[in-house]
Formats: sequence, structure tokens, C-alpha cells
Amino acid sequence: MERTVERDSGFEGSGRAVRDRLTRFVAVGEVGVLLALIVLVAFFYIVEPAFLSERNIRAILRVVSFIGIIAIGQTILLVNGEFDLSVGAVAGLSAVCSAKLMTALALPVPLALIGGVLVGAGIGLVNGLVVVKLKIPAFIQTLGMLFIGQGLIQVVTNGYPVYPLPPVITAIGYADFLFGLGWSFVFFILAALMADFVLRRTVLGRNMYATGGNPEVARLVGIDTNRYKIGAFMTVGALAAVAGMFVMADLASGTTSIGSGWELNVIAGVVVGGVSLFGGAGTMAGGLIGVLLLQVVTSGLVVVGVNANWQQIAVGVIMVLAVGLDILRRRYFIAGSSAAPAEPPTATTPS
Amino acid sequence: MHTGTPIMTDPATAPPVIQTRAIVKSFAGVQALRGVDFAVHPGEIHALLGQNGAGKSTLVKILNGVHKSGSYSGEILVDGKPATFASTSDARAHGVGYVPQEIEVLEQLSVAENVFAGHTGLGRGPIISRRRMETEARALFEELGLAIDPRMLVASLTSAQRHLVMIARALSFRPRVLMLDEPTASLSGVEVERLFSVLRRLKAQGKTMIFITHRLPEVLAICDRATVLRDGRVAAEIDRAHFDEEHFIFAMSGQKLQRLYPDHVAPPAETPPLLSARDLSIAGRFGVNRGVSGVSFDVRPGEILGLAGLLGSGRTEILHALYGRIPFSGSIAIDGRPVAIARSSDARAAGVALLTEDRKRDGLLFNLPVGANITIGNLAPLSSHGMVRDAREKSAVLAAMRALNVKARSPQASVAHLSGGNQQKLLFARVLMSAPRVLLLDEPTKGVDAGTRHEIYRLIVDLADKGVALVVVASELEEVIGLADRCLVVADGRIVDEFQRGEGSEDKVLRSITTAQAEMQQQALAAGAGRT
Repeated sequence: MERTVERDSGFEGSGRAVRDRLTRFVAVGEVGVLLALIVLVAFFYIVEPAFLSERNIRAILRVVSFIGIIAIGQTILLVNGEFDLSVGAVAGLSAVCSAKLMTALALPVPLALIGGVLVGAGIGLVNGLVVVKLKIPAFIQTLGMLFIGQGLIQVVTNGYPVYPLPPVITAIGYADFLFGLGWSFVFFILAALMADFVLRRTVLGRNMYATGGNPEVARLVGIDTNRYKIGAFMTVGALAAVAGMFVMADLASGTTSIGSGWELNVIAGVVVGGVSLFGGAGTMAGGLIGVLLLQVVTSGLVVVGVNANWQQIAVGVIMVLAVGLDILRRRYFIAGSSAAPAEPPTATTPS
Repeated sequence: MHTGTPIMTDPATAPPVIQTRAIVKSFAGVQALRGVDFAVHPGEIHALLGQNGAGKSTLVKILNGVHKSGSYSGEILVDGKPATFASTSDARAHGVGYVPQEIEVLEQLSVAENVFAGHTGLGRGPIISRRRMETEARALFEELGLAIDPRMLVASLTSAQRHLVMIARALSFRPRVLMLDEPTASLSGVEVERLFSVLRRLKAQGKTMIFITHRLPEVLAICDRATVLRDGRVAAEIDRAHFDEEHFIFAMSGQKLQRLYPDHVAPPAETPPLLSARDLSIAGRFGVNRGVSGVSFDVRPGEILGLAGLLGSGRTEILHALYGRIPFSGSIAIDGRPVAIARSSDARAAGVALLTEDRKRDGLLFNLPVGANITIGNLAPLSSHGMVRDAREKSAVLAAMRALNVKARSPQASVAHLSGGNQQKLLFARVLMSAPRVLLLDEPTKGVDAGTRHEIYRLIVDLADKGVALVVVASELEEVIGLADRCLVVADGRIVDEFQRGEGSEDKVLRSITTAQAEMQQQALAAGAGRT
């Protein structure tokens, strides 16, 4: 029962080649989203030139630097085929924990900051272990962790913000070098470059794509997919903690509302940027451009004076559209072999 | 075994319950069915037989509406009148009941709810009467002679009982003909006997059944007539009066297109084995196979060992166990040294590689391009300090593509658009990149064109000449026999025969499988009788 679909031999018709090149271009997630970003920026600028004022740009980038730090982790996790809804709560919990460590327990600041990161990584470890070992879907485990984290924030703080914080923290928060963006932006850029390098150029990154693309195949070629997934959960946890602590420094207070609601912005952003919810596809650049795009939309609508209620609606619509595109793209790639029959003429039950 | 006179209406007066005429069905230009005339008469149990790839499943899918009318040529007649099946529910409405091989139940619902799943209202509107449903389910089970409480949760039933629930579900639609797809694939001997008593009871009630199988002893035990498919055609239609094992085996194997296999000389018999498996046992999976028990064999370097067996015989499981993909008991040694293989990375470290059967499910990574698909898992020599060296990777990929004649536009091309043959060669390139000493091949030529098939045969023989120990599994017995230096015949998870190159033939394999299955059935029955 042989099938003779020899479609890749020799030279292709030029029509096919053009089509292929086009699809490949669109398939590169970040190209589409980058174009969309440019169009949106131009649109808001034309409607309201103040959109590109120094102050507004700074405001957008500031938010992007906080949320972007988490988005780096979330992109890595999504590439590994999982996702984390608890990042907002983890950011808040890590921030208030480190604030407590440096105030109530009077630990040295560096130690307290490390403590905060450990809280985040620890929660990531728990998420990872539960998802991988107990096979509880990431959606349930991390949604549960979102509630648990929010509760723990109240337990740790009794509902009161933790302040005053040591002056070093305030100084970190108030630093305004680099176009007034300060340390969080520097960290964001460095972490993004590093993560991009890991994903694109290293064995580690390649194995992550394999893990997210098809864990069964990854295991068969000898990749310990469990370790990869747990590691990715820990990374996103640790990065969420860092982001939370930067916000704490910015506010000069361990406020209980840090991180609240971020999880959705982060996931919506990276997904808009072409990082697949189904794992194994997407780039760091794409994910972060997506985060920036959502921030541009939110901010742009404010600047042009659209009612705040409509901002959320716009974000929702954009995200659904983006995921719809993602699904279409996937269908095209997986069904690429659709010229072959869905089931071969022979019986196909594994023996 | 065969009890009672079948209630058989004279075929001359009553039209067949279901009949196909000149069915031709092709997949991508390859004919799976080449003009099949198949008729099932009222009140009979009709066996549908054939080797893997003979066209059984295609015919079944046409009869139960999975392949819609219009996707094939020829016609279906129900009670002598032409019928078109546009969907599975259409086929059901025409009275075709189907019991699939794999169990599909709703575990968290009761037996009655499962039996009437899809028509829980019993045609009386949107409100479900639990009591009426249970009464009707009980009545159905009485017809079947079974004592299953309709209120029980399906989750608490054994696999064999679940299968009976599925039969009840199919019967709840009051079909004219009941198709049972490999119903005994994973049943133990005693369970098979229980199923047969249910089928005999249904037959006594005048039900018509199609029994799809490749187990001859069961056909001999329970069927009234048999249609044997081979290469998409009806090879024989046999009446019970002419039932005879030889007759079936001849019809199933017959003469096929002779393929040419490259020559290969087996290594001398005194060569010490490279891979030794001792006493491998693997638990069975319901609806798929009966597991593997106590299998031992050796493979010498440079030897091509074939595992010949039918679907569900356990041949794939043996490969998966050797590669650490499924848990097993027993021991494996390489070069005489025992190795512990608990996961795939252990097997790889020991120099074992596996080519899986299903390219889409556990072969290709559709999210990565051709090049990365080849190098995945083999990146260590192509990288330094954890960084992939692009130039090194690219030249390795190009070399592998050239060596195996993988035709793709570039290493950056998407794997989804490659032909089946090129996808398969790509996967060969992946498994060969680690230079394995033992290569396990599961259906190495599945879904590839004739040219690639020959390239793959050539490759297998070349690898053996280089001293690789190969274990080959293929559905087409003829292929295993043609390729292998030595063949082990696997049936129901046991090795039942062994022969050298040139000594084997398809009918020899089928005969040893049949003999072994008949023996095991006898043993199981004796054991069952001993218990009660």
C-alpha cells in the first residue's frame, strides 16, 4: 500500500514557491505583530500626537518593563507546552515576603531580595511538580495557586501595606537613568536578550521547543521533559518575583495589590505576539512585542479619550483574534500533509 | 463448538441484509478496495477476514458510514434496496450497528446511561426517565443473557464487561446487522467463550452479525460464512461446510506482487549476540493487545531479526520495552553486560535506537523545520558550551539528507509538506545520527512510495553489513520474511515459532499463529473449567 505523493522532488512551480514564501513570512509570528504594532502607533499618533509624547512613551515602557519581565518567563513556559496563571499572585506574594523579611525580620536587603526570588521559584517548583508528577492540568493547578497566593498575601500582611522600606529599595525605585526608566527596564532588557539567546541558539532552547511541540517525541529522543517543564515553571516564578519586587521598589511600599490582575495581561500579550498556547511555537521577540502592543492599545485608547470600559473590550477582541490566527496557522502546518489520507488504507491500530 | 441450527432464511428468497456491489475506494491514488462484492444473509454470523492492509477496515468504515457515500464508487444495498450512508448516524438509521474494537464508554455514567447514550430520552422528548431507561437496559441484558446491573457505574466494570455494554449499546438501536470489530482482540480465553455464548444467543434470536477478525480458530468456532479479503479484493467466500484452516490460510496469503529484497548474508551463528532479551513480560492494554509474556531472544551484530505477527500480537510492545518506552519485567543485555533500561535516554545511552511506527503521533516535530527535526536529541556533538553551532549543524544536516536522499527544499523547510517517504527518511536520519549499535524498526516502510520502500530496504541491509543489529516489525508478513535473516513468529505475546531466511513463508507464519492461538484457547478453557 504505497502512496506516491512525491511533492518535494526537484523544482517547484513558481506559484507554489511564492505561496510558500508568503506563508513562511506570515508564519513568523513576530512579523505580523510588528506590522500591527507600527500601524497602531501611527494610528494613535495621527489621532492624537500627544500619544508619542516623551511622558506617554515613558509610561508605556515602564509598565512593559514590569509585565515584560514576567512575559519572558511565560514565553519560556509556553514554549515548553505549559502556562502559569498564578504569576500575578506570585509577584505580589514575593514582594510582600521580601518586604517583611527586610522590615519585620530586619534581614539585610540583598538577603531579603533573594528570599523574595526563592518564594517565587519555590511556588514555581510546586506548580511544576504538581503538573508534571500528578498530571493535574496547568490551568487548574496555577489557577488554584493564584487564589492561594492572593490569600497568602493577606496572611503575610494582615491586609496592611509593608512600609517604610529600607532607603536602598527606595533608591532603586527612584533611579531615573536611561530615559527615566531605571533598573527594572535594564533588568528587563538584559533578561530578554538572554532568554532570546537561550531559545534561539542553545541546545537547551531547542530541547524546549521539542518538549512543547510533542513531549512524546522529546522523550523518545532522550529529553527529560519533566525537568524542562519544572525548570520553566521555576523560571517564570522567579521572574514574577523579580517583577513584583521592582514594583515594590517603585512604590516604596510592599503593597498588597502588587501583581493583581497581571496574569491575564501577560498571557494575552505573549499570545498576541504569536507564542502558541499549545506549546512549542513562538519567539521571545514576538512575545514581548505582543506585550508592548497590548500596552500601546490600552494607553492609546486613554490618550485619544476613549471610555475606559472600551479598553478592556479592545484587549479582549485583540487576544481572541490573535489566538484565532494562531490556530489557523497551526492547522495549516499540521494539516500540511493533508494531501495524504487522514487514515491510510491499512489498519492502523498499534500492535 | 458450533451449536444449534442457524435460523437461516433461504438466501434465494430473502435478499441479503446488507450487500456491497463493486466497491472501489482509493486513498491518494492508491486503491484500498478494488471492487468488493460482499453480502451478509439474514441470521448468519459472517466472518470478515484478511491480513493487515487487505482492506477490512476500509470496508468496515464504508459500511458504518465513516467513509461517506460519494468518497467511493459502487453501491450499498440494505435488504436489497440501494442505500447511501452520508454519516455514521445515517448508517445506524439504516440498521447497521457497530461495536468498535477500542472501548469508548462514559466512565462516570451508569451502565444504562451508557447503553442509551445519544438517545437517553428514548425518543420521548427532552426529559429522561431514569427508571424506564433502566428497565429497558435490563431487558436488553436479559436478551444477551447477562447479569449486569444497569444502575452500576461503568467505572466499576471490568474491561470485558465494558465491551459487553458497548454491544448492548449497539443493540439498543435495534440494528438489522451488528458489526463486531475485532471483539476478541484483548479478551482472555474464558472471556472469549463468554462473548461467544452471547453471540450464539443473539444468533438464536435471529440477529445477523459481521465478525471482523484475523483469528482463524474463532472463525471456525462461531461463524457461518466467511469472506476473505486480500489486496482490496474478495479472495474467497467460504461456507461453513467448507471451513478448513488450509483453505483460509491459502486465501489470506495467496500470491502477491513479488518484491525484490536486497541480498544479505546473516552473520555466522557463532557470533556472540549484541542484544539479548530474557524473559520480557509486558502488561496488556485493553482493546489493543494481551501483553507479552516471557519472551527471550538474541540479536547478533549484523543480523536482521524479524518479528512476524499480526496486529495486537505484542510485537510493537517488545520494541517499545527494549527502548524503555513502556515498563516491563525481564532483563536486557548488550554485549553480554546487563543494562537497566527504564526510559528512552537509558536505551540511547546503551546504543539502542527506535524508529516509531506513527510519524505524526510520535515521530515528527511539526513545530520545527527539517534540520532541527533531524538533529533533535543529537545536538551534543554539534554544539559547544551548550550553544548550537549553526555551521556544524547545517553541514551535519546536509550530509544526513544527502546520505539518505531526503528531498526537501532546505534544512529550513517545514516537515509537514514533505511526502511520506521523505518524512520517513528524515526520521531514519534522526535515529542514525547517534550511530546506534542496535536499531529497532517499527513499520519502517509504512505509508511510503515504492521507490522509497526500496531505498529503505537497501539502507537496512547496508546497516546490517556495517554490523548494526536490527529488529524489524512490519504488518506485511511478506516484508518481514523477505528482509529478515531470522524470523520470530509472535502470537498473543509469545514467540511461537522461529525460522531462518529462506525457510519461511506467509502461510507458514499464519499456520503457526493459528496453531498457537488454538492451543492457548484450549488451555484457557481447560484452566477456566478447572476453576469452576
